[in-house]
Amino acid sequence: MFHTKIMRRLLIVAPLAITAMLGATPISAAEPKAGGTLNTTSSGYRTLNPAVQSGAATGIPGSQIFAGLVLIDENYKASPYLAESWTISDDNLTYSFKLVEGAKFHDGQPITSEDVAFSLETVKANHPFGKAMFSNVATVETPDASTAVFRLSAPIPGLLLSMEPLLLPIIPKHVYGDGQDLKKHPRNMENVVGSGPFKVAENTPAEKLVLVKNEDFFIEGRPYLDKLVFSIVKDSLTRVLMMEKGEIDYVGFSGIRATDAGRLEKTGRLTVTTEGYGAVGYIHYLELNLRDKPFSDLKVREALAHAIDTSFIAKILFGGRVDAGTGPLHTGSVFYSGDVPSFEADLDKAAALLDEAGYPVGANDERFSFTLDIPSWAKQAHGPMGEYIQSQLGKIGIKVELRQAPDFGTWVKRISSFDYQATMNGSFNYPDPVIGVHRHFDCDNIRNVIWSNTQGYCDPAMDALLDAAAIETDLDKRKATYAEIQRKAVEDLIFIYMPQDFTATVYSDKVGNPPSSVFGPLAPWHEVYLKD
Amino acid sequence: MVKSLSKRIGNAVILLLAVLVLNFTLIHIAPGDPVEVLAGEMGGATPELLAELHADFGLDQPFHIQLFTYLGNVLHGNLGHSFYYDKPVTELILDRMGATLLLVITALLFALLVGTALGVASAQKRNSLLSNLVTILSLAGFSAPVFWIGIMLILLLSVAVPIFPIAGMATADEPEGTFAYIFDVAQHLVLPVLTLASIYLAFYSRLSRASMLEVLESDYIRTARAKGLSRFLVVYKHALRNAVLPVVTFAGLQFAQVISGAVLVETVFAWPGLGTLAFESILRRDSPTLLGILFFSAVLVLIVNIVVDIAYRVIDPRISAK
Repeated sequence: MFHTKIMRRLLIVAPLAITAMLGATPISAAEPKAGGTLNTTSSGYRTLNPAVQSGAATGIPGSQIFAGLVLIDENYKASPYLAESWTISDDNLTYSFKLVEGAKFHDGQPITSEDVAFSLETVKANHPFGKAMFSNVATVETPDASTAVFRLSAPIPGLLLSMEPLLLPIIPKHVYGDGQDLKKHPRNMENVVGSGPFKVAENTPAEKLVLVKNEDFFIEGRPYLDKLVFSIVKDSLTRVLMMEKGEIDYVGFSGIRATDAGRLEKTGRLTVTTEGYGAVGYIHYLELNLRDKPFSDLKVREALAHAIDTSFIAKILFGGRVDAGTGPLHTGSVFYSGDVPSFEADLDKAAALLDEAGYPVGANDERFSFTLDIPSWAKQAHGPMGEYIQSQLGKIGIKVELRQAPDFGTWVKRISSFDYQATMNGSFNYPDPVIGVHRHFDCDNIRNVIWSNTQGYCDPAMDALLDAAAIETDLDKRKATYAEIQRKAVEDLIFIYMPQDFTATVYSDKVGNPPSSVFGPLAPWHEVYLKD
Repeated sequence: MVKSLSKRIGNAVILLLAVLVLNFTLIHIAPGDPVEVLAGEMGGATPELLAELHADFGLDQPFHIQLFTYLGNVLHGNLGHSFYYDKPVTELILDRMGATLLLVITALLFALLVGTALGVASAQKRNSLLSNLVTILSLAGFSAPVFWIGIMLILLLSVAVPIFPIAGMATADEPEGTFAYIFDVAQHLVLPVLTLASIYLAFYSRLSRASMLEVLESDYIRTARAKGLSRFLVVYKHALRNAVLPVVTFAGLQFAQVISGAVLVETVFAWPGLGTLAFESILRRDSPTLLGILFFSAVLVLIVNIVVDIAYRVIDPRISAK
């Protein structure tokens, strides 16, 4: 699986290299032009303030309305945004940010270091991952209006990643600092005052969100677009038809199925790409309740891993448009390592392992049976995967009962009260594994909360690795620790990892500079323009 | 008439109370927890936050207290606060009511008028081409799922032959001027109305056809013909009044179904109305919003039924004479 990844990279690079050698100049990018309205969609949101809510529905418009201190590029490198420069002390415990001169909020008030300090406190206290990201930030000092100094109690290796507008949006203290609960602040939806490239012009949550160009944006000449219109469309089929017809120009997290991709590409106008999801990195997995037999037995889990052919799923169910994936980290992550045990597809081996584990074939050619929950969300992926698993395990004498959750609430209840045997599931890595990966493995995080360590995995050796990785500031050492974590996670089969999700951005050939960083559509769109 | 009307209104109030208690209980029995759904949408949350939200929403109270608090609020004209949108439910409903009423009433009127006209026309020549066509169309409209019809109409009249927009109630980038806006909304209205009306159109055409056939056989029609009245006058003055009564009865009864049909149609066409809101509220376990919408629809259905009662008397004066 690892090799296919490298091969694919080579295949992409090779023609480019050849072109370069021949001295052919690539078609030069057209000069970006200002103006125009970009039509896009949203599935609906309950707040526009990403300081208090994670997820793409809030994050996409939120990153347009609010600016962050830095931007992360396609190589995970931080570049200046609201912070024009910064210094990091040798012990990695002090980060000093210098803000851009003259930056203003949408209501004309200056953006100061006070606002940065306030934003950090807000995110730390209210964002679902606030503590995971910033609990080691002890204080933010504000020696003057344009300098914010972050003092850390312990190093945070991924700190700059968390300074993207998505994760640390700079919100106005003079609006939100009135003592009201930030999670329910009326200004999260009405009369929103932001700091980013676009301002809210119209917000009718049932119908549409209109953002217009912030003429006073702190980057000269940006944004290019005059207007962004998010039509609220919940039905993914309707969205596909709108793209096909050309009613919308750009959609991130489009929710289309791999089978729709070809249909959209056939129009000749649309590009479908899975690039730009490395930072949030969505991972599918089969979650087994490790508390009870038979799944408490590693041999049984190994048998399952041998029976389920993930490359088949990637090829057939996802149309070969996704990486098979190998473990807890997305292949787009800097910390991804493919050096993990592999369980080749082999039904005989699976059967032998089950015999060894004490589950011989009994009456009706059956070894044991279990119920596999299928969540109501991401049905297009979970449904077919569940059916495939059912048929594969049937071949080795395991009877799988599929239980389709009628809706999100029912499924969440089952999983978070540990009242299940197995479920299809999946979660986001988020830019730093500390946020999105540790939560599933940490002994302390076995809680009645969805997407915590609901399966009940606990190993002190794993905890030690996680603790080390959380504060390791040397990139190579940290990579090595994560490689070990990935190896151990797959060895212990904490989850049985499925192919990576087909999360796709769709855009028309009218769109110039589609957001290309690791945050993809969740990054600001100030460089996006419309061609003639 | 006034007496019977006041009796009806009295019944309606009792009925509404029953609707409230029943719905509240049903939603309470359904598995799932709005706080967990919210936490899920946030991308996870701490147990402390979950507890805080439970207390906030009053979900930590025993069932009977929650029920009585809710009933008390409704009696004071307060439909409560949406868990999800964190807004008064009344405001949410008022925001979206217009869109739904526009869709539902247009669809119902369209179905009623066109359905009856088709039925009456096809009743006059029983085995004509028109008559057979109406029968086939109504069978198709009757048996096809409404969302399928919606998607097919989009594919046909919006993608293949781009006459109408796919979704929404108005072009996202609104045209200037009131007239342009009305025209724009009218354009967006066509496909959802056709979709929603298709089922009822089929039904009304069948019903009015059958009823017309029956009436045309009756003695007074023969008498009317015998005394030499024109065919037009016989059909549209004498027969239609009687033939249309069952259609009106059904239109009243079916109003509730049209509203539920709107849920699917609104979802397919991204129509910003109550149907979409109801659907979402179920998924999110946003019980105050859902209860509010159900209460509102119940009131609407009752009003329509009272209106139908009055309509009977207008169409057939013999009813009030009794």
